[in-house]
Amino acid sequence: MTFTSSRLIHRIPALLLSLGIGFFLWRGLVLPSFPHLGSTAAHYVTHTASETGASNVVAAILFDYRAFDSLGEATVIYTTVCGVALLFAGRRYRSSRRGLSFVVKRGMALMVPFILLYASTIVLMGHLTPGGGFQGGVILATITVLFCIVYGSRFEAAQINPNKKEMAESFAGLFFVGLGLVGLLGGAGFLANLRAGFPGGTPGELLSAGTIPFLNIAVGLKVGASLSTLFYSMIKILEAPSEGPPPEVFSS
Amino acid sequence: MMSLPFLIFLHLFLVLAALAASEARDMLSAVIALSVFGILLAIVFALLQAPDVALTQAVVNSGLVTSLFLVAYSQTRKRPPRGPSRKDEDSL
Repeated sequence: MTFTSSRLIHRIPALLLSLGIGFFLWRGLVLPSFPHLGSTAAHYVTHTASETGASNVVAAILFDYRAFDSLGEATVIYTTVCGVALLFAGRRYRSSRRGLSFVVKRGMALMVPFILLYASTIVLMGHLTPGGGFQGGVILATITVLFCIVYGSRFEAAQINPNKKEMAESFAGLFFVGLGLVGLLGGAGFLANLRAGFPGGTPGELLSAGTIPFLNIAVGLKVGASLSTLFYSMIKILEAPSEGPPPEVFSS
Repeated sequence: MMSLPFLIFLHLFLVLAALAASEARDMLSAVIALSVFGILLAIVFALLQAPDVALTQAVVNSGLVTSLFLVAYSQTRKRPPRGPSRKDEDSL
């Protein structure tokens, strides 16, 4: 009896909190039909095409106005993957070669090129349409997830060498920083885009927006390689059932 | 503009999915509820004219977070299912 009452006491405030937050989000996000732009947002909306050459304002903010923040986020992912790969490093883990049935494998083989095409479209058109390096990179990493589940992790390691993935990640990060240094050499500051002399092109065309497509490609490679490494490192220990966390983890 | 009832429906189910994810006893149901929550949130983002955020939300939450959680779930050892007696929780 005490159990149910204490649970109710916990549950009712949680319900009220969720409903309240939902109500205020709904009131703030849905009801105003005339969005009022602040001065910074208005500047972005009106000046993005002339200042960066990109037609996707979000990509322009991520890779031009606030490109240094994107570099910081990429560093966060890099550090995380380094930590996880270091934690799960070691050769004592076995890799599986079994995978799922024949039908699933054939169906998967038909789907992989389309997933690759979709990911590269999202990365390459990041400055034109919604999307960008991060989203495309995550879609690239889902190929690793599917490979590991459908074919087993030995196939994944044979198709995409883990060392090559780490090389790709590191070189993509270096490419990002190198493009930023080119901006510095142009006399306009780190990661400067059009002011450093990169050609802007016509907004709306594939070859436009200066460095933004290249930064998108770098971030896409980097995120794809690092998340793929993350998943592969985690699933490697899954397939050795004798290995596992020590039992005292569960005693609390 | 989007129809208001549909948005209200989505928000209601967002709250329900979040409650289900936090209150579920079974870890697997919590992971699946979180995945449903992510997809609903992606739809809400797309309706609110934020396609970039919607794409990120859909891809990360349905593609990566769910699979990472499932790997972690199958990696860890499970407790035996609790019987009808709840003595261990009352003693806390």
